[in-house]
Amino acid sequence: MSSQVGAGSYKPLFFSPQQYQMVEHLAEMIIPEDDSPGAKQAGVAEFIDFMVANRAPVSTSRDIRSTDDAIAAGNEAQNRFLAGLDWINARSHSEFKREFMDCTPEQQNSLVEELAYKAKFKPTTESGRAFFQMMRDYTVVGYYTTKIGLQSIGYPGLRTVWPKMPGCPHADDPEHAHLREPASSSSSTQTGRN
Amino acid sequence: MSNDLYDVLVVGTGAGGGTAMKILCEAGLQVCALNSGPRIDPGKDYRGHRQVYDLQYRGYGDPLRLKGKAHQEPYSVEESEYSEGRDLFEHDVAYSNAPGTDWYWKRCKATGGKANFWGRSSARFGDIDFKAADLDGFGENWPVDYAEISPWFSKAERYMGVASTVQNRPSNPDGEYLPPIPWRCIDYIIQKGAEKIGVPYLPDRCAQLTVPHHGHPNCHYCGNCSRGCDVGSFFSPTWFTIPDAEATKNLTLLTNALVRSVIVDENGMAKGVAYVDRVTRKELELYAKVVVLAASCVETAHIMLNSKTRHWPTGIANSSGQLGHNLCEHLYGTPGYGYLPQLLGQPATPDNIADSTVAWMPRWQNLKNPREEKFIRGYSVYMGGGCGEFPGYYGQIEGFGSRFKRDIKRYYATSIGALIQAPTLPSPTNYLDIDPEKKDMFGIPQLRFHFQWGPNELLMWEHSKQVMIDLFSAMGGELWGADVEPNRPGTSLHETGVCRFGNDPKTSVTNKWAQTHEVPNLYICDASIFPSCTDKTTTMPIIAFTMRTCDRMLENFKKGVHKRA
Repeated sequence: MSSQVGAGSYKPLFFSPQQYQMVEHLAEMIIPEDDSPGAKQAGVAEFIDFMVANRAPVSTSRDIRSTDDAIAAGNEAQNRFLAGLDWINARSHSEFKREFMDCTPEQQNSLVEELAYKAKFKPTTESGRAFFQMMRDYTVVGYYTTKIGLQSIGYPGLRTVWPKMPGCPHADDPEHAHLREPASSSSSTQTGRN
Repeated sequence: MSNDLYDVLVVGTGAGGGTAMKILCEAGLQVCALNSGPRIDPGKDYRGHRQVYDLQYRGYGDPLRLKGKAHQEPYSVEESEYSEGRDLFEHDVAYSNAPGTDWYWKRCKATGGKANFWGRSSARFGDIDFKAADLDGFGENWPVDYAEISPWFSKAERYMGVASTVQNRPSNPDGEYLPPIPWRCIDYIIQKGAEKIGVPYLPDRCAQLTVPHHGHPNCHYCGNCSRGCDVGSFFSPTWFTIPDAEATKNLTLLTNALVRSVIVDENGMAKGVAYVDRVTRKELELYAKVVVLAASCVETAHIMLNSKTRHWPTGIANSSGQLGHNLCEHLYGTPGYGYLPQLLGQPATPDNIADSTVAWMPRWQNLKNPREEKFIRGYSVYMGGGCGEFPGYYGQIEGFGSRFKRDIKRYYATSIGALIQAPTLPSPTNYLDIDPEKKDMFGIPQLRFHFQWGPNELLMWEHSKQVMIDLFSAMGGELWGADVEPNRPGTSLHETGVCRFGNDPKTSVTNKWAQTHEVPNLYICDASIFPSCTDKTTTMPIIAFTMRTCDRMLENFKKGVHKRA
């Protein structure tokens, strides 16, 4: 199975090897490799495992006023991760009669879509949706705090010395009323050429 | 050491204390400065050019780092994983909040204090601020007007280096400026929208060196300012006043010296300070002819309230009973955030590498008629956004997968948010006192806050939310939302009051020179003298008023009012 590929030599601190594989797979589903590397290459699962193991809350609604608050939030994240991964497997069993990781990519996609898109929400999936939101929070944080992630959006601060601040580059269109999205402009250019 | 006698003791080395010791040392006085924490080392304690992926917890910090500390609440923004490892922030000295109060007291105890990491907005106060009571009938005027303080604003600006433009608005007086920071795409778009709804959007007064300034290099735009500048391209005591004072060889700088109280002679005049050495836990005293308190507003009042003797049963120089009163603060919060569809899909532009507000909406309410709005006085708004260090807007984008990832990139240049800076009005229910029971680990009675937002500032908060709805519509933006509640009191770090200055000793703690009415050799050099908060930030005015106070003190030395040690 493709999901078995690249389990790697990393020994998870918190998750079991099976759980870790699932976290890594979900992270890659959220931020896949396309024209830039995905969550897997950016080591997002290792980051999640490290943060969850050390009870460092990434996404929490708690007001943290003390070390006890921080630990409570960290414990909550641990429990929510374990319960959430179980929920996903229970859901895949009831929908597809097998573990999530044994489902086809189409099945996995349809399961996650029900948790990720409002139009596909079902009344019985509330806890699954809450888990998916948390998983997405950890994944986005884990990805966009790596060099790979920051490069993928072109974070200008990766360069640390600038001769001057360039300011707005659209001197000929200061109202920004006629800017074209590169994606749409390139496709229209193509049509134009054809 | 403890038997040494100095000309002046300066308590605190931040914006006010640092400036005081520079001026006094340069005038030839022997000065001893006491700083409650360690000496900051920019090479180790600032962010430098470290990236977030260089940090083990990616900026979130070790959740156990404050375990066992007396005050375990982390200080967002200022304190971060970049400055973890050394004890730069105050977590040993606890404070208390009265029932119903939720004050968030963030303290940097290292040399230079919060001014190592400040936001750099440096607008002048104007007569609209100093004479607000004349205009709207609330409270009292300041004892100083614009004509009187203006030369010191110029002095402060010349020394610090402030980038801005001449704008010809009396409510936001112009100063002496370095070339402004260039505008970003978002600034042009916001400005157009603001114009349509009659709101000014202008370059902020930003203490950031757009050109080299008195030996300080110009900014190299790494974007890390708020974690400390590695080369001193904006004003901070660490790069400016402390080295200047040390160059005179007239400065003795004591670190980890936590001042407990001002000690007095047989006549009740200041004789020195009592402090505890945090490292040895020894109780020590130092003596001087003049004492300057610049411990950062509320801590100055804390020290004075704890300076109780037979002469001063409620705290030193407090016959007026005003010590600890008139606590004001800026209400902070996000009255609107969203995005600019005009910029969707634009490639990342380096528009946040100045890490500064670049432009702002200086107060525009109640200018023509002081009672035009439902509230009196007025507020300012800072707009932020553009290509930042983290795509915090991702929560607005639904889904997962390649499309989600592409959208995160597509929205990268578009997201913007507002920050309101609204002054509170002095209120008899907003004050400080000494907790009757609680003491900190050094046995010092704790400071207790009594503070709640009042109706005037909450009206401004609601007003600003409507302005954001109008602005987003006028500039073709989409509003995602707004904070329901403002931030907690204390968040802005702009507390003022508690030792207000004035001409009448019955209603103020110090005279117009920031010299306490009753103890002429005790001066105050921080925002605690400001009788009211304005819509502008406090740091540059603290420096200007400190320069003026020190000039006055030097005259008093010359005239023999104060004797040399």
